[in-house]
Amino acid sequence: MDVIGAPSDAEIVARVLGGDAEAFGFVIRRYEAGLLRFATRMLGSRDAAADAVAEGLVRAYRHLASCREPDRLRTWLYRIVTNRCKSHLARRSVGDVPLDEAPPVADPADGEAELERAEQLALVQRALTGLSPDKREAFVLKHVEGLSYEEMAAITGERIPTLKMRVHRAREALLKVLEDHT
Amino acid sequence: MNTIDPRIHQVLDGELAVDALPAELRDATEAIRAAADLLAAPVPVRSLESRVMAEIHRPAPSLARRVSAWLATPHAITFRVRPVWSLAFAAAAAVLTLFYARDVGPQLGEHEGIAQFVGRFPDARSVHVVGTFNDWRPGTIALQDLDNDGVWTATVVLPAGTYEYMFVVDGERWVPDHLADRLVADDFGRENSVVIVRPVHR
Amino acid sequence: MRLWAVLALLGMPLTAQSVQSRLEGRIPSDALPVVDSLVQVALHEGLPSEPLVQKALEGGAKQVPSPRIVAAVQASLAQLRDAQELLVRAGDQPPIRAGEVTTVAWALRRKVPPSTVEHVVAELPHPPRAAAIHAIADLVAHGFDPDSSAGLIIAAVHDGLQRDRLLDVSTAALHEVQRGRTRDEAIGVVRQQLPNVPGPPKPERGTITRAHRPDTPSPP
Repeated sequence: MDVIGAPSDAEIVARVLGGDAEAFGFVIRRYEAGLLRFATRMLGSRDAAADAVAEGLVRAYRHLASCREPDRLRTWLYRIVTNRCKSHLARRSVGDVPLDEAPPVADPADGEAELERAEQLALVQRALTGLSPDKREAFVLKHVEGLSYEEMAAITGERIPTLKMRVHRAREALLKVLEDHT
Repeated sequence: MNTIDPRIHQVLDGELAVDALPAELRDATEAIRAAADLLAAPVPVRSLESRVMAEIHRPAPSLARRVSAWLATPHAITFRVRPVWSLAFAAAAAVLTLFYARDVGPQLGEHEGIAQFVGRFPDARSVHVVGTFNDWRPGTIALQDLDNDGVWTATVVLPAGTYEYMFVVDGERWVPDHLADRLVADDFGRENSVVIVRPVHR
Repeated sequence: MRLWAVLALLGMPLTAQSVQSRLEGRIPSDALPVVDSLVQVALHEGLPSEPLVQKALEGGAKQVPSPRIVAAVQASLAQLRDAQELLVRAGDQPPIRAGEVTTVAWALRRKVPPSTVEHVVAELPHPPRAAAIHAIADLVAHGFDPDSSAGLIIAAVHDGLQRDRLLDVSTAALHEVQRGRTRDEAIGVVRQQLPNVPGPPKPERGTITRAHRPDTPSPP
């Protein structure tokens, strides 16, 4: 039983494993925004990201009993969605850059600041898409999702020095692309 | 390879203060941070909840038998079906849900209970209950006074837990539930009533 | 550098889409950035954010002026911090569970003395403790001595009662007072009854038939 606030991850996991499938809705609502943002940055496509995250969440539900640390559910979910993203990238043919990352059509009523921001986001996203999947993943987990290297290691299964190297290389590659466009 | 000064990496990894960087290196640091900030903006995508829940509830492989059994089983009112392929199921489920709801009421989940709200408002035109169970949205849970004796009631299925609430009379007058066992200050100069909903099934 | 000029235009606050979408249109627009910042602070400190969101929504629904909404949300954040510190002092290991923080904050709001809450947390090392704390708060709210109340509920837990059955223990004590006993006597009587305190009546079929579900609230 909980108080006014939403139930903890561990409580939700217990409820779902106890047969209350609807309680999984808490998990979806709590984490989908972050997972969608992560997957969108990884795949460069909102539609593909929605597919990857939806698949990941269904998989998480079906394998929830294997989540050994319900208090670290977030890490476990990111690990699943990371793998879904890798599967999507592996299926995608080389050079196949999704079209829906063209700069969003800005409403002329938007201020100039909004238009420039949209263009800049598109530029940065293109730069990110140009990174190898490993570097992209490392950069997004570190700088977009704000995870520590320890959390990243738990998600990816990679050693921290490896992750640091990927993040460093990603920063350098990104910076070069951004500078080349100015 | 565009190798950058390692101090930039140290700052971005939180191992060095940005003040320790010479000015010419701070631009690059800020550019990375600005790019990350742009990427960290929320992505406007429709919620996946209905899609995921529909997939979770989707019948398993032996489709014909599962479908006929599913159609014959009453489902909870909150069951949601969204994808186009399942519109036929949604229609059938909606019909069955209405049919069964008249006979046995909503099917309570294992962690759900019932909260009964009662208040005496003889001259009221409408009474609603508003609280943490409906994000304090007025107008969503109406009490009824079916026999016009001034006693308004509502019986609501809620997940087990603790909730704060008040009554709203005629859409404008906020009143605590004087029959509630528990009250707590609302930090706005009033008191909220408190209900603890216990699971019906144990 | 053109890159710089453009990036410098970045000014939109980066807030969690879901919190903003719940609060937008529900609270005064001038309160939204501050409330959102407080929510982000709570998240950063590992505190539950839902109590803050609910407090803001409540203030908006009650048409409270922005400064008071902000003050109430700040007060809620302070309560959550106090609750978290109490749990750590009582021996809970980080990361502290969000549910426990909200439970303890709740107890403090209901005027259970911090020392009593800390004692209960220390005596009941395994969460969730919500039912135990609510049961004690019920007794304290009806004038029972906090330490005696805590002693009764802790004894009930040690006798095998769990979760919402602990509410039956506090209800039993309240009923004894209604029958004319003093509070101390009531606690003594109920203690003798443990673990066989009566449970609540089950809802009748008609009650269930009349029940309905509320509209689904906005997702957290």
